[in-house]
This record gives sequence, C-alpha cells and structure tokens, in this order.
Amino acid sequence: MSASTRQIIGWVVTIGLAAVVVVGMIMGDTRDDDRVASLGAAIKCPVCQGEAIVDSPSETAQAMLEVLEEKVAEGLTDDQVFAYFTDRYGDGIRLDPRFSPQTLLLWLTPVIAVAGGVWMILSRRRQPELVSEEAP
Amino acid sequence: MTAIVGLIAVLVAFVSSAVLAVRGFIGMRKGSANVGRSLKWPVYGVVGGALAAMSVLEIAILLDDFSIEYIANNSASTTPTLFKVAAGWAALEGSIVLWGLVLAIFVYTVYLQVARRQEPDPLGAGALAVLGLITLFFFGLMLTVSNPFRVCVELASVGCFEGSNNPFISSVAAFEGRGPNALLQNHFLMAVHPPMLYFGYVGMAVPYSFAMAALMLGTSGSQWLQRTRAWTLVAWGFLTVGIVLGGLWSYEVLGWGGYWAWDPVENASFIPWLIATAFLHSAVVQQRRGMLQAWNFVLVISTFALTILGTFLTRSGVIASVHSFTQSPIGPVLLWFLMLVLVASFGLFATKIHLVASSPRLDSLASREGVFLLNNLLLTVFAIVVLVGTLYPMFLEAFGGAEVGVGRPFFDRMAIPLSFALLLATGVGPVTPWRSAKASVVWERTRTPLRLALAAAALAVVLSYRNPFFLLGLISATFLMLVILRNLYYSAKKVADKRETNLPAAALHVMRSDTGYWGGQISHFGVALLAFGMVFSSNLSVEDEITLTPGDTATVAGYDITYVEQISRTEPHRFVTGAAIEVSRDGRVVSYQEPRLNTYNTSSQAVATPAVYESVRGDLYLALRSINSQTVVLGVLWFPFIWLIWVGGLLAGLAVLWSRLVRKPARDSARVAQAVADER
Repeated sequence: MSASTRQIIGWVVTIGLAAVVVVGMIMGDTRDDDRVASLGAAIKCPVCQGEAIVDSPSETAQAMLEVLEEKVAEGLTDDQVFAYFTDRYGDGIRLDPRFSPQTLLLWLTPVIAVAGGVWMILSRRRQPELVSEEAP
Repeated sequence: MTAIVGLIAVLVAFVSSAVLAVRGFIGMRKGSANVGRSLKWPVYGVVGGALAAMSVLEIAILLDDFSIEYIANNSASTTPTLFKVAAGWAALEGSIVLWGLVLAIFVYTVYLQVARRQEPDPLGAGALAVLGLITLFFFGLMLTVSNPFRVCVELASVGCFEGSNNPFISSVAAFEGRGPNALLQNHFLMAVHPPMLYFGYVGMAVPYSFAMAALMLGTSGSQWLQRTRAWTLVAWGFLTVGIVLGGLWSYEVLGWGGYWAWDPVENASFIPWLIATAFLHSAVVQQRRGMLQAWNFVLVISTFALTILGTFLTRSGVIASVHSFTQSPIGPVLLWFLMLVLVASFGLFATKIHLVASSPRLDSLASREGVFLLNNLLLTVFAIVVLVGTLYPMFLEAFGGAEVGVGRPFFDRMAIPLSFALLLATGVGPVTPWRSAKASVVWERTRTPLRLALAAAALAVVLSYRNPFFLLGLISATFLMLVILRNLYYSAKKVADKRETNLPAAALHVMRSDTGYWGGQISHFGVALLAFGMVFSSNLSVEDEITLTPGDTATVAGYDITYVEQISRTEPHRFVTGAAIEVSRDGRVVSYQEPRLNTYNTSSQAVATPAVYESVRGDLYLALRSINSQTVVLGVLWFPFIWLIWVGGLLAGLAVLWSRLVRKPARDSARVAQAVADER
C-alpha cells in the first residue's frame, strides 16, 4: 500500500469518526432533559449563602424545589417559571441574569476581553516586510 | 497573661518587619556582598514572632483560655482536639495569624536562598524588603483591627459579648466557649485545606516581591524571571492542592454532592490560580525567546493583587458565602491596602518598564510561542470572566442598581467552552515546535491521538451516550492524555535505541533529563484525569430520592440500599442521629454507611453529614434528608469515576515536585536525551 493511499484512508477514517460523533450530538441526548435540575440551578435559595435551590439542603430550598416541580409539571415555559419566582422574590433570585441595560457590561466583558486579547496578539506579530522597521 | 505574651510576639514580628524593610532597601541600593548578615536578625524576629504568636494562640485554645474573646467565641472545652487546633485559623483573627506565619516561613526560605549567595544580591535584598513591607501590614492588622488576643470584658450567655484591645485590662473568663462553626468541625480536611491554600495564596507574595525588586532596580534579563518562576511554581503547587482539597471538603461535608459551586470565595482562590498558571507558561516564552517581558510583570503583579482582593472578599463580609465571617472593621483596611498595592505596583511598572522590556516579535502564530499566547489569552479571559461575574452583583448594588444574582448557570456557560479550548491547546502546545511550526509536523504528532479520541466518542454515540458536553469532554480529555503518552513513548523509544536500554528505563531517563518540561507534562496528565472525572461524574450521574422504613430495600444505580435501623448517640460536643444503611451489590454486602444529622451543643440547627461509599467504579453518595421513628428520606446520588477529579487534581499540583526535586541524570547520558528534546 503506497504512502498516499494510507494517507487517504487516514483522512477517511478521521472524517468518518467525526461524522458519527457530530450526528450523534445532533440526534441529541437520549436521556430526558431534566428541566427541574437546570431551572433549579438558576434559582437562588433566598435564605442560604448564595447557593442555588438544587444545591441547598435547607427546608426553604426544598420547598421551593417542590413548587418548581409543580410548575414544570403544569407545563410552564422557562420564562413563565422565572416570572413566577421573580414576582415573589425579586430579580435577584435569578442566578442566570437576564440580558438588560443593567447587565450589559457583564455580558459584554467576555467579548471585549477576547477581542482585546486577539488584537494584542496580532499587533505583536512580526509585520510584513513592506511596513516593518519604520517605527522605532 | 496570654494576651500580653501573644501581643509581645506580634509586636516583635511587627518591629522586625519594619527593620527588614529598611535594611533590605539599603542592601538593595548598596548592592553589598554581605546582605545576609544585616538581614539575619530582622528575619529571625519576623519568623520567631510569627511562630510565637501562632503557638500562644494554639496553646491557649488547647488550654481552654476563655478570657480571650477569639477563643471564647470560636472554641469550646468539648471541641475535639483536631478541631481545636483548626480553630486557630477557622475564624477571622486566627486566619490572619496563620497568614502572618505562612508569610514569615516564606520570608525565611527566601532569606536562606539570599544568604547562601557569595556574590552581591541586590535583587534578593529588594525582594526581602518588599516582603518586609507586606509582613509589616499583616502584623499591623493583628495589633489593630484584627487582634486575635483581645481580652473579654463582657460575657454573653455563651462565649464573649465584647472584648478589648488593651491586654492589661482586667478580663472576665467565660465558663464555656461558643465552639467553632458547626460546618467547620465536621471533617478532618478542615485541618488540612486552609493551611495548604494559605501556602499557595500567601506564597504569591514572593514572586511579587521579586518582580517589584526587579522593577526598582531596572534590571532586565532573566535572573528575576528564573527566581520568580521557581517561587511561583512552589506557591502554585500548594494553591492547586489547596483548591482540590477544598472541593473534596465541600463534596464530603455540604451534602448536595457537588464539589464546586462558583461560590465567590471559591472564585477568589481560582482567579489568582488562573493568572499564576498563565504566568508559569508565559515565563517559559520569555526564557526561551525573550518575549513577553512586560506582560510577565503584569501577570505577577495581578496574581498578588488578586490574592489581596480574595482576602478582602473573604474577610470583610461583603459577600454572602459559606466562607464569609461576620462584619468586621478589617474590610476597609484590606481594601485600602489593595488600592495601595495596585497604585504603587502599576505606578512603578509604568515608570520603569522601558528599562526592562524589549520584546522581540513573534515569527509566526503557528509555533510553540503562538500556542503559549493562545494559552495566556484563554486563561486571562477565563480569569476576567470569573472576576467580573463575582464582583458584578456587588458593584451594581453599590452603585444603586438592581439586585442581580450571578451563579452557576452563568459561570458554567462561560467556563465550559473555555475549558474545552484549553484542553485542546494543552494537547497541541507541548508538541508544537518553537519559532515556526510546519502543519505536517504537528499533524503527525497529534493525528493518532485525535483519531483514537474520535473513536472513543463514536463508540459512546453507538452506546447511546449522546450529550454534546459529554462527547466534547471525552474527546478533549482523551486527546490530551494520548498526546502526552505518545510523546513520551517516541522520546523514550529513541533513547532506548541509542543507549540500548529497555523502554521503561528510557522513559524514566527522558523524564529526568528535562524535569521542567516533563513536570509540566505530568501536571497536564493530571488535568486530563481531572477532566475525565468531571465529564463522567457530571454527565453519567444518577440521582434519586428514596423513602424507606426499617428493613426496606431500594435499588439505585445497581446498588441495593437497605435501611437497617435508626441510630442516635450523644458525643461530648454533639448529638448524632442517623440511619444505619447496608449497601449491597449482586446480593453481596459491600459496605455499611451512616448518613446522619449532627446537632452541635453550641448551635440549634442540625447539620446534615452525607455518607459516601467509595469504589473504583464510582461513589454512592447518601444524604439524609429527614428521619423520624418510622421512615427515613435519603437523597441518593451515583457519581461514576468521581475519584479521578481528586487524583488528577492532586497530581496536577504535586507534579511541581518532579520539576523541583528530581535530579537530572549524569551529563554524558543527558546529551542523548537533549538530542531528543531538540527534535521536539
């Protein structure tokens, strides 16, 4: 078997395996999507020290988790569930803050940090011959 | 009496710190050869004072001296000895004493290194001077806003209601102390995790001091960098181990089965860890290629400033957290110190940077230094995201904005993609050549690991594990691990061929010949194990809640869980009630477990303590939700392979020992290994 044939087989194998994985991901998780767990991780236990209701063994958190289970069973959407809790406990109950003018900087910071970093790295690269060595 | 002796010790350390700072600066300016001699006594004073202060506090705790406010409020005569010792640092004032002691130990080790040198060492003298200023601040705290030796002047019903800084005032002694916080006397790790973390946290003061001294002297060149990196490595190792043990503690004690909650104080230890990790990598770029000089100063200064910020967050009570202590006047003082550090350090940096920075430019992004830059970008962005997420609610509230919570969903969303990218870069980076790397070379070194990683993921898909996070995690962790093993195998094979030894001996030879590089690879291997542990335990976990009456059995994750009986017993410091549980698998009893509720004499609320059956396949985690005479309600969690997190994390930190302690092989045989390393 020639070197180029082996190379082609290698590529086919790599791409084939990657395709299986990608298709698997698109077909999705075969386990049930646990909405109570994911929503519960995003709702703060109001009497605890910064813990989510799924993370806290306190009675308040357990009671709120039961309410959450009911609401999910009733078929409320995520937004409706959050609205139910923020109406009662205020916006601070959400551990996954909404995008709003108040949280603009929070959400933009990662973007700014990445852009700034990439710009710094690119500007430190050796310049192409034509423009280099002009500035001291 | 205790207060007087303790405060004298603190005072000795305080005055010695001032003398150390002054003499250190003089030694740095003069550049005299015998700087060790002039710094000897101030160093002894700092170390002796710090040791004496901690000892006095510990002895007084062990002797139940409740005339001291701190002891009356944080220990009790019934507290077990181990937790009495831990009480020495488990609350605010004591933790500052431990901070001072750890800093003093670092001062002493730096001093030993400086005193051993024959030639003048202005850099070392300057670093000791800066360290002297830092110890001056912390011992100053102990004399003023954070005095551990306050005497009690007014009793509360239990413990002490009010204390006084005046050690000569006539004191009143409580009959019994209040005891430690219930959560903090539940697990032996409470005696290990804080000191480890402190050695890491406080140790970052040493690289900072060397960086400051280098800036003051305006010395470019690699001497400051080499010494700074070596010290950072030591502190980083401790910090890594400390963080991992903290995760283990929270897993074994808090009862919800998690090890990391993005709690502000966990973040406070993680942010400097990220920046220190970035520095460990970018320092290599400066050593090899002379690049990134200014950037390295920024990283070292930031790491230290972040440890002070973390101390402020933990000790001031500005945030709600399992770690935070009560409101205390120490908060504003720490904030001012942080401002001072930032202004002084970056001010000095701005005025002196032209003397120390002269960076050659990057030849090509596709090179080892290019990957290092990517690594620094990812780690720095990671740190910024966590920092902003941690501080944002506080700032918004301070400026009159709405109340906003930032928690696990936000951090997870940011951290997971960054971690995947970091894992892949960790795999590719160490096998990418310096200066300019041909794609074909890198591909040759990574294609087999990549194919095998994809094959593992494809197999998982066939077995119907199709969660994208699970698959991506599996691919990146497998890839990283296989690249490291492949690299070691081929390097060892070349040495084995040339020296005609067997493969394991050759592998050991390779790893000993370049301890810096292979220490790093061992650490990366630990990271890969940790990633496996996280991927498996979080994506394949099973959760259930079962209600049992005595004699009942329920099955979770293949284990039969039988409720035998309710138990209760009285211990000197607590009342325990729990459930005796028999765990069996395939009809064979494998373990007895006792999830329980502990009610401490000193607090009314019961603390639930989970019981964990640990096996190679994973952990069966039993948390007691409620219990009465008829039934018990248990939360049962199954975490496959979660032990990989602890093993991998500890390996990542302890890998420092390989770089620091392993001796290189004799020179002639090292040449062969060097030839192999050059091809890399």
